Amino acid sequence: MFEVRRWWSKGLLQLIATLLVLPYLFPLIAMVQGSFAGDGWGNYRDVILVPGFFRFFLNSAIISGGVIVLVYAVTMLAAYGFSKLRIRFREVYFWLLLACLTLPEVVLLTPLFTTTQAVGLFNTYWAVILPLAALQVPFAVLLTRNFINGLPDEMFEAARVDGASSIGGFIHLVIPLTKPIAAAVLIFTLIGAWNDYLMPLVFLQSQDMQTITLVPQFFVGEFSNDQTKILASAVLTAIPEIVAYLCLQGLFERGLSAGAIK
Amino acid sequence: MTLSTQERLASAAGSPSRPRGGGRLQASGLPWILPALVLGVGLIYYCIGYTGYISTLNWDGASPEPLSVGTKNYSNIFGDPVFWKAITHTVLFFVVTFVVQTALGVVFAVIMHSHIKLAVLYKVIIFVPVVLAPAIMAPVFRQIFAANGQFNWVLDHLGLGFLAQPWIGQESTSLPVIMAITIWQWTGLTFVLYYAAMSQIDQSLIEAARIDGAGNLRVLWSIIWPNLRGTTVSLGILSAIGALKTFDIPWLVTIAGPNNSTQFLGTYIYQMTIQLAHVGYGAALSIILLIVALVMAIILQIVARERTGRR
Repeated sequence: MFEVRRWWSKGLLQLIATLLVLPYLFPLIAMVQGSFAGDGWGNYRDVILVPGFFRFFLNSAIISGGVIVLVYAVTMLAAYGFSKLRIRFREVYFWLLLACLTLPEVVLLTPLFTTTQAVGLFNTYWAVILPLAALQVPFAVLLTRNFINGLPDEMFEAARVDGASSIGGFIHLVIPLTKPIAAAVLIFTLIGAWNDYLMPLVFLQSQDMQTITLVPQFFVGEFSNDQTKILASAVLTAIPEIVAYLCLQGLFERGLSAGAIK
Repeated sequence: MTLSTQERLASAAGSPSRPRGGGRLQASGLPWILPALVLGVGLIYYCIGYTGYISTLNWDGASPEPLSVGTKNYSNIFGDPVFWKAITHTVLFFVVTFVVQTALGVVFAVIMHSHIKLAVLYKVIIFVPVVLAPAIMAPVFRQIFAANGQFNWVLDHLGLGFLAQPWIGQESTSLPVIMAITIWQWTGLTFVLYYAAMSQIDQSLIEAARIDGAGNLRVLWSIIWPNLRGTTVSLGILSAIGALKTFDIPWLVTIAGPNNSTQFLGTYIYQMTIQLAHVGYGAALSIILLIVALVMAIILQIVARERTGRR
């Protein structure tokens, strides 16, 4: 974009970039440095040796996995229905769904609390998976519907002429052709579910059910507010996310920015 | 939210508008959208309806016979100074984070497009905060901005020691800290979007401007920035909704304090409902939050349409 030819203007631009990036690096450095204060690696050993530490990761993985499967399944079906099949009052249904996009999750607390207790789902994975999936579905459907709208109708017509049912069209056309947008849906659903704090906080009360976002809080109790160990636990819980991002950079960036525009 | 953008892009790309009914697939699509409707619309609207009912009660969440109070909760809210504080914070928070993130995002995107060294590394550093959970980073920021934390240490070593203060422990600086953390977290996303949008700008436009003698800043202001309007509008809508949903950071870093100085609607609802067991009042707050969010989304949608219509 910018034309920088002379060495000093190149140097200046590099300097500005570096100075602007440093504040972004700073909290990460502070986190790692703080986690080694005092006992050094001993902080990490203490954190890992806490019984059930890996349980947090397992719970987060189960919940994220559940949310992803649920969101993917209902989204693909719905996006295909909205885009290529005949539905009376289609736009009414669509806008009912879209209105949910603005919904802050804190609004769901009380009704879900009483309802999950009434039907015995409180303190189970479902109490977190269902609302999280419900919150992700509207946006996933919006994205995927727009994507399928871009696929030519003629293709589906041809499949129908060849005797494929709407189910056939779904299996042989929609599933394979929507892979790019499915990857985006997968990533933002994963991030949304993995990083969610409020739902597990309220609906998962027993310790062996809790997710990684509750780890810092757990360790405040466990180590009577020993900051170094809390930071060590923060580093350990951040590592999988950073590794996942570094391995799938493009996918993450596309998936998360799908949230703004396409 | 982003429907208008997408519809516009789709029609600009020349995709044929779909005929309604008639020669299309004959099978009814209703069974196909039913699971999504049950999960999304069903669960969420059920909750909203339920919340609406609870909002007319004086209820502690446990008592079997809640007292019906009509619209009293709502009239109480409008006289509640903390509610107005939360609203003020939300507006301020939105304006500041949106403006700063936009500025930083554009600047980063322009710089990264200008063949600098280590661009890949810089990009990773800016984007990593986006994938990290706010709940995990919260204790880190509590430590950084504490009175004896690393931020004051850095100020000290830059010769700015006189600026050192207990950042999250006093009313005057706690909200700016929450804003700073949010900006730290989301600039990466803003940057990636602007970066992508900039690659779509017609290079010949920029070259033509240069031939006419425009300098770098002039090109940025007169050619690049106007071409990013679509992205900016979408990011504006996203930040506004994000501001209304704010919960994790103010709750975990400052517990909405000190003295409600970082109180947001989300944190206030949580405090009322879970901590103080004023469930009816919390529900009424939720309904108001919902109405504000919907009205704002509709207004922004209309503004976005007008803007793009004029172009």
